[in-house]
Amino acid sequence: MAPALVVLAIGIVVPAAILVTMSFWSRKGLGFDMTPTLANYRRILDEPIFGAFLARSFTFSGIVTVLTVLLCYPMAYYVAFHVNSRKMLWIVLITLPFWMSYLLRVFAWKVILGYEGVINASLLELGLIAEPLQVLLYSQTAVIVTLAHAWAAFAILPMNVSLEKIDRSLLEAATVLGDGPATRFLRVTLPMSMPGVLAAVFLIFIPTMGDYVTPALLGGPDGAMIGNLIQLRFGPVNNWPMGAALSVVLALWIAAIAAVFLVLNRTAQSRLA
Amino acid sequence: MDVVDRIEAVRNGRLGRRGFTRSLLAAGVGIVAMPLAPRRGRAQTSARGTYFTWGGYDIPELFGPYQQKNGALPNFAVFGGTEEGLTRIKAGFVVDVAHPCNASLVRWRDTGLFQPIDTARLSNWPGLIPGLAELEGNAAEGGKVWMAPFDWGQTSVTYRADLFEVEGEESWDMLWDSRYAGRLGSLASGGDAWWVGAIKAGVDFREIATDDAFDRIAAVMREQRPLIRVYTDDTTSLEQALAAGELVAAMTWNASATLLRAQGVPVRFAQPKEGALTWVCGVMIHRDAPNIDRACDIIDSLLGVEAGRFIIGDYGYGHANARSFEAFDDAALAALGLSRNPAAILEAGHFQVPQDREFETRMAELFEMIKAGF
Repeated sequence: MAPALVVLAIGIVVPAAILVTMSFWSRKGLGFDMTPTLANYRRILDEPIFGAFLARSFTFSGIVTVLTVLLCYPMAYYVAFHVNSRKMLWIVLITLPFWMSYLLRVFAWKVILGYEGVINASLLELGLIAEPLQVLLYSQTAVIVTLAHAWAAFAILPMNVSLEKIDRSLLEAATVLGDGPATRFLRVTLPMSMPGVLAAVFLIFIPTMGDYVTPALLGGPDGAMIGNLIQLRFGPVNNWPMGAALSVVLALWIAAIAAVFLVLNRTAQSRLA
Repeated sequence: MDVVDRIEAVRNGRLGRRGFTRSLLAAGVGIVAMPLAPRRGRAQTSARGTYFTWGGYDIPELFGPYQQKNGALPNFAVFGGTEEGLTRIKAGFVVDVAHPCNASLVRWRDTGLFQPIDTARLSNWPGLIPGLAELEGNAAEGGKVWMAPFDWGQTSVTYRADLFEVEGEESWDMLWDSRYAGRLGSLASGGDAWWVGAIKAGVDFREIATDDAFDRIAAVMREQRPLIRVYTDDTTSLEQALAAGELVAAMTWNASATLLRAQGVPVRFAQPKEGALTWVCGVMIHRDAPNIDRACDIIDSLLGVEAGRFIIGDYGYGHANARSFEAFDDAALAALGLSRNPAAILEAGHFQVPQDREFETRMAELFEMIKAGF
């Protein structure tokens, strides 16, 4: 136990403690004033920009999570129930795009959504539009589309595992007892795959909430998220304590949302059972 | 998926103490396998110097003599603005040579993270344009300097001559022209954009740090914000967007216009009637530079005539070495918006005035808020 604990302490507890401590400091010149103060947190409460960005990031991540889970569930389902040989190959093929660096995928989306990009060029060629669509790139849409694609693998894999584990005899039993395909799915398959769906939701929601690369490159002026505000504080704005306070607030905010979601899920599961 | 299985097992109380420890151990081994302490961001091979610079300067064309002498290029690291660069150096990124500009010189020097340059070690130093190194706060003891001037130029408007209809004279108003809302671009760094805002608002650079100046500049930046399609420090993005016609005008440095013209894109680099924003950039040596000899080689290479010709001819910037200009006739220089005499260009525009730390933080914070729409 001991070595693992040491690693945990060095890797997680110490940095978190530094972050929390720093969030009570304030900036002084290039360094820090270490007198504890709540000023940073007060600012987050008082200035509307921070609340608005938290809300916007929540909305973006929420949309991305729902989109990704909805789009990936059928894929996971297909591989689990309708692919009988070479499942591994299917999984590898589905996750192939994710062997590439996240940053490169973001740039690839820039090429696809760009002014002279794949979508605009095709639509122009087909005569469906007269002018390239400006809304595709440097917009909130661009951020949501890219994030939904970028995290798809994290949705497919856990949902696939959950679906694989469902005992097929239960489905047979449901059919024998008179359930049609739709009812059978809703009463047996879906509830039993909920742990995978839940894992997918967490695996997507949490990291996208703090993402900053995608909005920085594709978001334009209106597409920025809370992660960008934090990054700026550690970069050009040079106010690390403020950045630390924002990070702490973001972490608490995500934890609160996750807790609410867990409670909802538990209630739903106990109702079903 | 093992991880999911284990989480599930914990939830159902199926995983015993041993199983749990094993899981932790597996995770622990995974973490230990990664490099433990954050290594200081030193150059990968200590024999190579590291040059920390703006995007576009990380190219072999500037390092001919350096390559000849050392057999390879220096390592490159790139920043988007001088404050970003300074923050990274302050956080422990050790480089040999960094590339700030006159407006940040005093702030960089005062961090104590840099050492004066012994100009006697630079073979190209005597060829420098006289007076160019005499920047505010640049002189160090014993005739040394903190920053060796390297390139100089303007921040202005690059616009598509075929798509942007200029009303009257060229002016900074072009970037505030509501006819082209959503088709204008801007540099993201306040180091350029905020100062342009000052020119637009009619603020004297000597008074840029006053409350009144902040209010007036913030007002013009807020007015401009809905018109801007993208704020970015990635000049390639701006250039591509101008080439495609996605943008019709953007705030850029000389190089963007020169590069686009060389590709046959009909752009002009405006000479705004209010005056362009002008600057001198240079190179500084880190206090703990691991390769002081390589650092001097990097600087000497940058100050050489070979690099100078490229900087002038391909990028359209002024160079510090007087002899670099010999390859160009006056007409060619005029077409690039340059002159053999830097003062003619620098003093015709608005030359940046160094500001203190407090100004930079206040400005960056306010400008980022405005860009975010607040």
